[in-house]
Amino acid sequence: MSQKISRRDFLKLATAGAATTAVLTGCGPASRYVTREPYTKMPEYTYNGLSTYYATTCRECAAGCGLIVRTMQGRAIKVEGNPANPINLGKTCARGQATLHGLYNPDRVEFPVKQARSAALATTAMNWDEAFQVVSDALSKTNASEIAFLLGTASDHLFDLVTDLAKAIGAPAPIRYGALSMFESRATLSKAAENLLGEAGLPFFDMAGADLVVSFGSNFLETWLSPVAYTRGFAKMRRGNTQKRGYLIQFESQMSQTAAKADEWIPLLPGTEGLVALALGRLVAEAKGGTTPRAFASVNVEDVSAKSGVSLEQLEHIAGLIAQAQAPLAIPGGQALGQSNGLSTAEAVLAFNALVDNYGKPGGVFISPLSPNEDAYHRPANAKEMADFIATMKSGGVKTLFIHGVNPLFELPKSLGFIEALASVPTVISFATFPDETAIASDYIFPDHQGLEAWGYQRSATGAMQSVLSGAQPVVSPMYDTRSTVDVLIEATRLAGGKFAEALPFTDEVAFIRNKIANLIGRTDGSFVAPEINTFASYFQQHGGWWSAAGVSAPSSSASALGKAITVEEAEFSGDGEFFFIPFVSPTLGEAGANKPWLQELPDPMTTVMWNSWVAINPETAHHLGIENDDVVKIISEAGEVEVAVYEYPAIHPEVVAMPFGQGHTAYGRFATARLPQDRFMDLVPHGGLVGDATKRGANPVDVLGARFNKAGDLAFAGMKVKIEKTGRKQYLSRLESRIGVYGEGFPEEK
Amino acid sequence: MIRKFFEWVLSPMGRIAVVITVMSLFSLAAYGVYQTQQPPEQPIQFTHKLHVGLGIQCLYCHPGALRGPSPGLPTINKCWGCHQQIAKTQTSPLLKPMVDAMNAGVGFMWVPVAQVPDFVHFTHRPHVAAGLNCENCHGDMTKVTIAENPQVMNMGWCLNCHKSRTEDNFQNNPTGDAGVSAQLEKKRTKLTDCGTCHY
Amino acid sequence: MTVDLNLVGAKGAIAEAAAGKWGMTIDQDICTGCQACVAACAMENNIAFVGEEDAGYGRTQHWIRIERFWDGEYPHVQATPFQPMLCQQCGHAPCEPVCPVFATPHSPAEDLNLQVYNRCVGTRYCANNCPYQVRSFNWRDYHTVPELGNMVNGALIFPLHNQLNPDVTVRRRGVMEKCTFCIQRIHKAQDKAKSEGREVEDGEFTTACAQACPASAITFGRVDHPESLVSQLAHQERGVKHLEELNTLPRVTYLKEG
Repeated sequence: MSQKISRRDFLKLATAGAATTAVLTGCGPASRYVTREPYTKMPEYTYNGLSTYYATTCRECAAGCGLIVRTMQGRAIKVEGNPANPINLGKTCARGQATLHGLYNPDRVEFPVKQARSAALATTAMNWDEAFQVVSDALSKTNASEIAFLLGTASDHLFDLVTDLAKAIGAPAPIRYGALSMFESRATLSKAAENLLGEAGLPFFDMAGADLVVSFGSNFLETWLSPVAYTRGFAKMRRGNTQKRGYLIQFESQMSQTAAKADEWIPLLPGTEGLVALALGRLVAEAKGGTTPRAFASVNVEDVSAKSGVSLEQLEHIAGLIAQAQAPLAIPGGQALGQSNGLSTAEAVLAFNALVDNYGKPGGVFISPLSPNEDAYHRPANAKEMADFIATMKSGGVKTLFIHGVNPLFELPKSLGFIEALASVPTVISFATFPDETAIASDYIFPDHQGLEAWGYQRSATGAMQSVLSGAQPVVSPMYDTRSTVDVLIEATRLAGGKFAEALPFTDEVAFIRNKIANLIGRTDGSFVAPEINTFASYFQQHGGWWSAAGVSAPSSSASALGKAITVEEAEFSGDGEFFFIPFVSPTLGEAGANKPWLQELPDPMTTVMWNSWVAINPETAHHLGIENDDVVKIISEAGEVEVAVYEYPAIHPEVVAMPFGQGHTAYGRFATARLPQDRFMDLVPHGGLVGDATKRGANPVDVLGARFNKAGDLAFAGMKVKIEKTGRKQYLSRLESRIGVYGEGFPEEK
Repeated sequence: MIRKFFEWVLSPMGRIAVVITVMSLFSLAAYGVYQTQQPPEQPIQFTHKLHVGLGIQCLYCHPGALRGPSPGLPTINKCWGCHQQIAKTQTSPLLKPMVDAMNAGVGFMWVPVAQVPDFVHFTHRPHVAAGLNCENCHGDMTKVTIAENPQVMNMGWCLNCHKSRTEDNFQNNPTGDAGVSAQLEKKRTKLTDCGTCHY
Repeated sequence: MTVDLNLVGAKGAIAEAAAGKWGMTIDQDICTGCQACVAACAMENNIAFVGEEDAGYGRTQHWIRIERFWDGEYPHVQATPFQPMLCQQCGHAPCEPVCPVFATPHSPAEDLNLQVYNRCVGTRYCANNCPYQVRSFNWRDYHTVPELGNMVNGALIFPLHNQLNPDVTVRRRGVMEKCTFCIQRIHKAQDKAKSEGREVEDGEFTTACAQACPASAITFGRVDHPESLVSQLAHQERGVKHLEELNTLPRVTYLKEG
């Protein structure tokens, strides 16, 4: 107590205290000075803190679902379905919800660039005037027959514009392509419809009215054609009739998400779906009595049972169910069509529908109507046509290639050789919104708006009993210095003058769209009537499109379908491996969802794997091969190989391995390729060594697909046989269902 | 080590150190609170006193308070609507920032004064609908130049008002009517529910 | 003498108002497991994505997840009906009494389990005690991981933040979160109805998950109004409540197959 403190010590302490106070207070209040910038000129329909809603159309796939986007102070906040649009009736799928992560993706092409193709990173920024000149020169200084347009399946207004342009300048018609249309086998479906129903168009299966649905590999609940519409149909089929619960039977070699909803999932050998359809037809026809129609007369049921692995009792049991059902319906699709015999499988299934006499009846088969401003059904190119196009490119027949909305370097099987063909095209101009593989391999990227910033319209190819044209309008002003491709082409043709300027006599994109919907003015059979273009166009924006009350058309006659002899030939498989290889489109990622972080975070419905690829192998088979969950295996086909982690999948045919399509990007932004920063801790996990390079997320199954086609020209994507080799490495898949990996749980002991 | 520290704290030197620390912390807190009540630097010396004195209604510049959560800050177009007719606009040095911003076509970066944290979801509309006037919370704007925050907007302040306005007393229920009592009870439940503001 | 357990609030008492206020039915027979609800929920409620590694640790922030179980062995294997699992907004919630700081109170006005982010100190007791495993913890500041942003003129810009819903708090590291039954939508609808001098109508608004669901498997509404759609669905024969034996009084009714 008596100890004295010197004045010096006191001062020291006091200074320290004051300094601390100063530092701490300095940190405090500054943080509350946020600033707010109001509009310079607020739009009169906007209120502070209240949302504004815009109707537009989803561009995540080609189905054309209507959206209502909630915006606030110029930001798009939430995507909701447009309740008026007959395709989706207010509903959306996960990919539609995540379209905002495309709009606000941190990896977008923000301005026009010129690139050195060999070194993709060597880019030079351009301004749009230079870009217009480049496009103008590319159009006017190339021989018209050596110009090619490669477009995606969305959006249709661009396709119409390019079609008009190509016709006027004498260039080949644009080619449309997309991974979804490849896996949907659209050409096979429309060819089968032409052969059996007498009309080339996409058949529409009115599931809502059926009480028993037999699906042959069709993944209609996932990505097939119009998944939201078919999901609604399925729900109505199951529960819409209060008296009778709808029944779903699925023939598929692996249990897909759709098969998981089936009351009976019947695994069979790939390529035998068509045979099973014929056998069922024969059994049902016999049960009904009378003469067996020609279509089913030649099939031997015992033979089918032996080939497919579906027991005779099962076939008879299902035939019995079908015979008792009031409105049975059969749907072909998915891997059943992606076989060398896909076309005859589709025909067999359509003939089966003729047998149960459901053509043009509720719960039966219809021909999807043409969209209101469509002259004929323009199906996307099939893989055979793409192969022909690639051959033209390789032979130097294409001097200038315009690419929009499609990523062939990622989507097409490597064996088709698109990358080599691209090298022989002197000028490649991409209009990509995101820096995907094809875009960074192009000479120029003139970025288009993201779908929510853009005008447009999308024709719905199928999905509703009505003829639908979904309209798109910008819901926010563009984030970056991007331009609509339609405007770029209009501007470029104006610069080129002459026949080019005459081909597109429009001031801008909006004028072009108004021109294309002008034929609907005054039509009284639709969702609204307007006497002149200004009113019509504003209603079109407000309602999110125009749809007629007119229904689908019924196929001409079922008799002719039954009168044709159908033989389903043996499916051919290429390669000498011991496993059938089935790629399928990831239900959560779709064809272009890998750059949207929340789609990556969505667990696959069946395996619950997030952020990565897997190969599904029957546990029994895996045991024989000496591999287990999370082992990395090499899948080798005659066309190539991929490395991917194993998921022991209990519901898959022992001779089949299946792999999702959607991952394995080498470009396309940080979420599709590199790992996130927090993933750096992956190295701390025991045995958690990274697989491959950190610039690639997952693997791409098209790398092992060969250039085999079915008779309709679609890719026989499920027609490969592969070998499986162990690599000795592990990659722990992140799954929702298991906690393996938490603090080393479930890992083998350190050796 | 710890023992040594305690011995030092008990020594006169240590005691003084403790006192100084406590005083520093107290002054820090006081200064922090004081700081939050200071009007911030604004992009322009906007005088509420003058504008309100001219008879301009609060809702003319902050119309959102009537309809939704946020009253909004006026756009520069709104300022210009009146100011373009006032000769002084072009000559006054105080108004120069506005003229410059208008010519450049940019907005003001206002610094909001009355703020609640992000985890509070405050809506103006029901408060205006309940008959509160702006000055009940924001003070008398005829007395200030740059807007000031007259009170600490914390949860206690919110709840005091919510509670006093729903108490079943003579002021809220002069006749002692049972129906009104039940109404008040229901309101009180709602107005003191955490989930009314925090989600 | 009998004691009214409801009056004294005894644990285990079957409260007379067990029906609750807001409720949901999920028809497992038509749920296709498509994850649209999960994505819609994430977009509406500013839920962060956590990346591959944290997802592997089970740190995903899904407020609603779709469970799938295997039953049987090949070829007689079946996937059990997809089961969307979200906070059941229990009437007697096991998460509520364990919170030492009262950050998980029961809302008396809306009869929901609340999560008050500003009060939460991150003990994670509630998640431990939740029999449905529907609470998730913010292990990091997932929204502001620097690598999610772009450097623009020396400043870190997060384009993804433009999407955030201003009606919902963005949670920071160290707090628990869970499904709120889209309470911001409840408040908005109530506010709108009140400004128009009426009650909230059945079907006037719905949660983000129910709104997105392509199969319309999710229905949301007032379970204490017998004429509402959700009440009528919930009283069907095939309605079941999960872990009802724990007397949690869940507000979500699952409609099973068959």
